[in-house]
Amino acid sequence: MLLISCPNCGSRDETEFHYGGQAHVPYPENPNDMNDREWAEFLFYRDNTKGTFAERWLHSTGCRQWFNMLRDTVTYDIQAVYPMGTPRPDVSVPAAAESGTASTAADSTTTGSAAPSTSATSISATSTASSTTAPEGATK
Amino acid sequence: MANTAALEGINGLRDIRRSPASHLTAALETGSVQGTVVLKEGPFQTMAGVRVDPRSEQGSRIAAVAGGLPARCGEVSGTDSVSVLWLAPSEFLVVAPEEAHDSLGGDLIGSLTAALGDAPGQVVDLSANRTTFELSGPRARAVLEKGCALDLHPRSFTPGTALTTEVGNIPVILLKTGDESFRLFPRASFADFLGRWLLDAMREYASPEVP
Amino acid sequence: MSADLLPEHPDFLWRNPEPKSSYDAVIVGGGGHGLATAYFLAKNHGMTNIAVLEKGWLAGGNMARNTTIIRSNYLWDESAAIYEHALKLWEILPEELEYDFLFSQRGVMNLAHTLGDVRESIRRVGANKLNGVDAEWLEPDQVKELCPILNISDNIRYPVMGATYQPRAGIAKHDHVAWAFARKCDELGVDIIQNCEVTGFLKDGDRVVGVKTNRGTINTEKVGLCAAGHSSVLAEMAGFRLPIQSHPLQALVSELHEPVHPTVVMSNHVHVYVSQAHKGELVMGAGVDSYNGYGQRGSFHVIENQMAAAVELFPIFARAHVLRTWGGIVDTTLDASPIVGTTPVENMFVNCGWGTGGFKATPAAGLTFAHTIATGAPHKLNKPFALERFETGALIDEHGAAAVAH
Repeated sequence: MLLISCPNCGSRDETEFHYGGQAHVPYPENPNDMNDREWAEFLFYRDNTKGTFAERWLHSTGCRQWFNMLRDTVTYDIQAVYPMGTPRPDVSVPAAAESGTASTAADSTTTGSAAPSTSATSISATSTASSTTAPEGATK
Repeated sequence: MANTAALEGINGLRDIRRSPASHLTAALETGSVQGTVVLKEGPFQTMAGVRVDPRSEQGSRIAAVAGGLPARCGEVSGTDSVSVLWLAPSEFLVVAPEEAHDSLGGDLIGSLTAALGDAPGQVVDLSANRTTFELSGPRARAVLEKGCALDLHPRSFTPGTALTTEVGNIPVILLKTGDESFRLFPRASFADFLGRWLLDAMREYASPEVP
Repeated sequence: MSADLLPEHPDFLWRNPEPKSSYDAVIVGGGGHGLATAYFLAKNHGMTNIAVLEKGWLAGGNMARNTTIIRSNYLWDESAAIYEHALKLWEILPEELEYDFLFSQRGVMNLAHTLGDVRESIRRVGANKLNGVDAEWLEPDQVKELCPILNISDNIRYPVMGATYQPRAGIAKHDHVAWAFARKCDELGVDIIQNCEVTGFLKDGDRVVGVKTNRGTINTEKVGLCAAGHSSVLAEMAGFRLPIQSHPLQALVSELHEPVHPTVVMSNHVHVYVSQAHKGELVMGAGVDSYNGYGQRGSFHVIENQMAAAVELFPIFARAHVLRTWGGIVDTTLDASPIVGTTPVENMFVNCGWGTGGFKATPAAGLTFAHTIATGAPHKLNKPFALERFETGALIDEHGAAAVAH
């Protein structure tokens, strides 16, 4: 069971989330000019990294917002949580220790700083007001 | 857009309206353990789903009608009769007593719709979308903890806080209404399952405690 | 149904040779598929100067972690052909390999719980029959007759509305299958080299000419990749991509019980598949974790959901205890069908993407992959499963028959 820090809601169990696959896969700029090989790459080929992997997650039974996450696919350590549409952060940013329990820490749910501790470039509650659910962010 | 004429037209159906867990009324009563943990289905509520950027002008107009918009996860704003629950940074659930509905002489949906105007966002009448369960008593937290992974300890989850989460694998909004009382908002189609799940979770408290 | 039926064998079934400096072909991955490929290369194509490289120990990956179910009731012609060929090979292999790995054709039932399931299942039975695969549709009372411990009452969330049944399907002892292949490979002169991890490939232009390992460089004319969940890692070393994603898939066993479960029961809808192994433990497969993972472990809630469904379908299991759980890494494709064929690298071939179907396909995967490696062109059975199908669009969507949603 992963404990995932939603940028809006704080730490929640993995069961509240849906996995969205590899992040930073842009929609083709010139779809009409693409050959079958390039379409195959876009439709069916995704990185299958062993190690640190940038991926999309949706907090489906929480705030229903998408976000990006850097996670190690071997140790399952979550190294960073960052907003859709922003570039992959440098993983040398040390990740703060996880609390290790499935709690909604008081500071992430009831007080000012909604930013989860593992967030490398976290989203504050107000700065995401214009973020959308899947489609726009999904192409970033 | 609320169509007041249409709402008045269906108003005659109010008397035969049945709540999603009404078939469980007797079971909820017998399953409740007075003084320990009590479960009831709450009365109908008027509910409106609002999507709006809270920092925008239309956000301010809606906040004025609703009695403020909560700024972050967990927060609940509103007035004496209207609660506004935070669902996401730009999504809120406005909850008010049934009489606030436009079809019953109120003006909640209409006034929210008017406040949004033509600006980006949405106001949707969701009054039939969810029902409410009211769970209370010294064991209420213990019952919820059987199927909810959140930290429900009072130091973390305080009265007047609402969180969107899962209880018994069912997506719900969980509102803490008092030190020992909670309101759960499941979608109507999950009411039967969640009601029975809660009854099952409450069952042990009907027996004497084994020291 | 007892351990004393297992064949006696010497302490060592194969040599533990040092790697030679060159081979005619190198198979990367010493699991079921790698061993079967080596066996058929030696037996059918006379290629005996070959090596199987295994980074850990023989058959210690998914071959040690699967639920040993063997069936061929897949929907599409291409899948039915290759899985049915595998089933026919399973039927003769104990004799051919001179090793009784307890292939038990006790039948496999796939339950239907909704009207949609029923329609899809009956369609599949029809398709199977047209492809010469034994298949029947069972009504709930027939289901109960075959497997009396199943709860077929209406009073559950997803009642049993019927099932497809393949009588020739069944289970086998997975580790014995690996040993049977390994022993024969060894007899035929194949070098099985354990603790030998591939760290890179030697290439001459677009052609592979050797393999770098932690035990030295090995020159070879041909390379076959049989690395399941780690296929992407190897492909990256070789300079090409594969359209697969690796996910954790879990399984578990109970403690030993008297024989209570006579067949194999699978339910895609509520997500249970259960058989009772020869020794008596209940073997159950749980679901895949949604996220990519190489950790050989999965999330607890997946097991919890699986157990909830299992107890509803088999109330008798409520008193059983979970003895062990584990996870493997399954390599999934977007059409839930495997990739067996050539790669963009000349003389390098790939066998991967079997997802949850790998064990049951072992003999046919080995046979067709060996043919592909030996001749440089696919066997007619694996031709449709080429990497190129993701460009041509000729996908083989087996999500309905693949058991675990992936």
